[in-house]
Amino acid sequence: MSFALKFGASALAMSVAATAAFADDAFWKQAAEPYQGVTLRGVTESSPPSLYIREVLAPQFEELTGIRVDVETTSWDQMFDKAIKDMEAGTGIYDMVYIEQDIIYSYLARDFLTDLTQLMEDNPDLVAPTYSEDNFTTFADYFKNEEGHLFGVPMEAFIKVYLYRKDLFEDPDIQAAFKEKTGRDLVPAATHEEYSEIAQFFTDWGKENDMELWGTTAQAHTGHVASWYEYVESVAPTFGVYNWGINADNNYAASVENGGTMNSEEAKEALTWWLSMRDIAPPESVQSTWTEVGTTFGAGRAAQGLVYGENAGWIAADETKSLVVGKVGVALPPLADGVMDEVESGEGYIGYYDGGAFGLPSTSKQKEAAALFLQYIGQNEVQPEWAVAAPRVTNTATYDDPKVQDMNEELGGYYDMLKDKGYLFAGAPAYPFHAQVRETVAPTFYSILTGDLSVSDGLDQMAAEAEAVLTDLGYRN
Amino acid sequence: MQSNRLGWILLAPTLVILFFFGVLPFIYVVYVSFHQWNPFAANPEMIFNGADNFRRIVFDAEFLNSVGVTVAFVFFAVLSELIVGYFLAQAFMKDFPGKAFFRTIHTLPLIMAPIIVGSVWKLMTTPSIGIIPHYLDEWFGITMNIGTSAPAAFATIVIMDVWHWTPLVTLTLIAALVSLPADPFEQAQIDGANSRQIFWHITLPMIMPAVVATVFIRLMDALRTVDEVWMLTGGGPGSATRFVGVHIFKEVFPKTNYGYGSTISVIVLYLTIVACWLLYVTMLAPRNTKED
Repeated sequence: MSFALKFGASALAMSVAATAAFADDAFWKQAAEPYQGVTLRGVTESSPPSLYIREVLAPQFEELTGIRVDVETTSWDQMFDKAIKDMEAGTGIYDMVYIEQDIIYSYLARDFLTDLTQLMEDNPDLVAPTYSEDNFTTFADYFKNEEGHLFGVPMEAFIKVYLYRKDLFEDPDIQAAFKEKTGRDLVPAATHEEYSEIAQFFTDWGKENDMELWGTTAQAHTGHVASWYEYVESVAPTFGVYNWGINADNNYAASVENGGTMNSEEAKEALTWWLSMRDIAPPESVQSTWTEVGTTFGAGRAAQGLVYGENAGWIAADETKSLVVGKVGVALPPLADGVMDEVESGEGYIGYYDGGAFGLPSTSKQKEAAALFLQYIGQNEVQPEWAVAAPRVTNTATYDDPKVQDMNEELGGYYDMLKDKGYLFAGAPAYPFHAQVRETVAPTFYSILTGDLSVSDGLDQMAAEAEAVLTDLGYRN
Repeated sequence: MQSNRLGWILLAPTLVILFFFGVLPFIYVVYVSFHQWNPFAANPEMIFNGADNFRRIVFDAEFLNSVGVTVAFVFFAVLSELIVGYFLAQAFMKDFPGKAFFRTIHTLPLIMAPIIVGSVWKLMTTPSIGIIPHYLDEWFGITMNIGTSAPAAFATIVIMDVWHWTPLVTLTLIAALVSLPADPFEQAQIDGANSRQIFWHITLPMIMPAVVATVFIRLMDALRTVDEVWMLTGGGPGSATRFVGVHIFKEVFPKTNYGYGSTISVIVLYLTIVACWLLYVTMLAPRNTKED
């Protein structure tokens, strides 16, 4: 079903639900009484979950409460630019801002956001009977401070999964050819060696059979931070290099010499392996960000790959955009020896848990009215339709909804993995200097990708650069 | 006196807007350029650091690389646009079937937003999928990958810029050529001058003010190119197309390095003024002196 159709169907279903199921309409009308004529403004990334807010939830809320909600959807970098400038200058243009999981610590460090837990405690009349912080999955923990207070209502959450082509993996001819070539059965890889073997097999298979098919995806853009993200978030952890290789407990050391792991042997092994995968990925991979990786997989050009969950939804289920609907399976990423043991003991993670929340800027002039809207989008009642229209789950109860369970089937068990194995994944480390370090080391990383620097020299240089900028920023002594 | 006052009254709204949206922000940027200021540093306050940022810029290899790449880009792009634009202008001065149609088609790129131009060229040049690498491979056996080849990425950006902005040059030069008097050309022909001599000694000197104005406009535009490059290569592969505009963007927005980013902006403005002044001195000043 197309995204537009899903939106339409969702809007219709929600309209019916809004009149029939919400027994608490009286609360919203009464609570919104003092804010009639108010217009709330939000800024967010133009992504399926955000578009659902703009097209479905905001109009519903407006109809129910009389409070107008204007949601501006824009590009990823523009969204941050607008929100940060507004909060930094204190202009108070926005009453809601999208907080990507990896930027929350920067915002908290600058006191940009309103403490929602405190706001609710201070204004008990504002608390909707259908809203509770307990409804959220553990992903909400990323939007809490050390005291456990919430600073954003989760609106999207997904993991970066190992996606593979079920139709290819289950094809008897291919299985036989793989067995003959490698001596083992063709099943999703559990280790990097197995992954490499499968990737090489399918790249060769594509060539031999004159097919536009390669063995793996690679988010390896040579001028965009997406490539750096794939390495630090999704590849390095599977080799046991966590938190970008920066040791926050040891004066933010990055180099092995000072106690970090950014240029450790494991890191070098991880990057070398990933580059070897990049070399047998489709040619467009060197120009691919997260979006293009999804497009490559959806076009049926890769047999397996690490793909963001937000794209897994349309790849697996949207026939208007994907050529591999119904042909997709999900698995955990391949791991090096010992990594799973470390993760199970709470020392690391195996991949990236991404998402975002809607936060209330400290500079907002309509905090109470905005708090009402944030509660509205955080209720269990609005989640299932939202999860179907734009695959994301932020509330525990959503998993049990029949519509979501049907969607889970279409997605090859993706929601089950999110629910049962989500704890193995982690969001970005709690650094207030996220973008600053990323942008400092990224040019060197690109030089590694282009071959101007060797993996070893490049990672050594990146570690030194990271430590230098952390010293400049005043985080490292 | 009366007309002077009326003139100032009529100018006032423009001057006020110019002051608030041009002069004031510029003064603020200069002020910030003397500070260390990153809102996400451990100390997010603005700290006056004298000329430290200016001292740092001299040794900043990334900045110097971006200046070098930009200068090369400006040279190749603007020169190509001038040459191609002049020939197109000469072609459009003549009558031929379908002239109006071709002239309209040829100006279409001008109305496209740079971000769209970047997107379209990205689609056309995506390795193995885009139409350009596909046919280069199929017809000539050439592998084009702007994600790995720095020369290919740089050349593609120059070609994209030439495609986008040559129509502007053409239109300006058509306007200049149309306004030229016929007499000098007729006299030159009577005197037996060939077409090359006519171009160097009559046409070019007479259209020189239009050429210089066009070069000024394109030079300033090319020096602050961001959108198209951002979309097409993001500054890559590596730093091969990290033009100074892209460098400033990355320094100021994602890195939020407002102090140092402002310093780079001030320096780039200074370099632009110097480049324009040099252009004026070498191309127009001698002519003005001769006329005096």
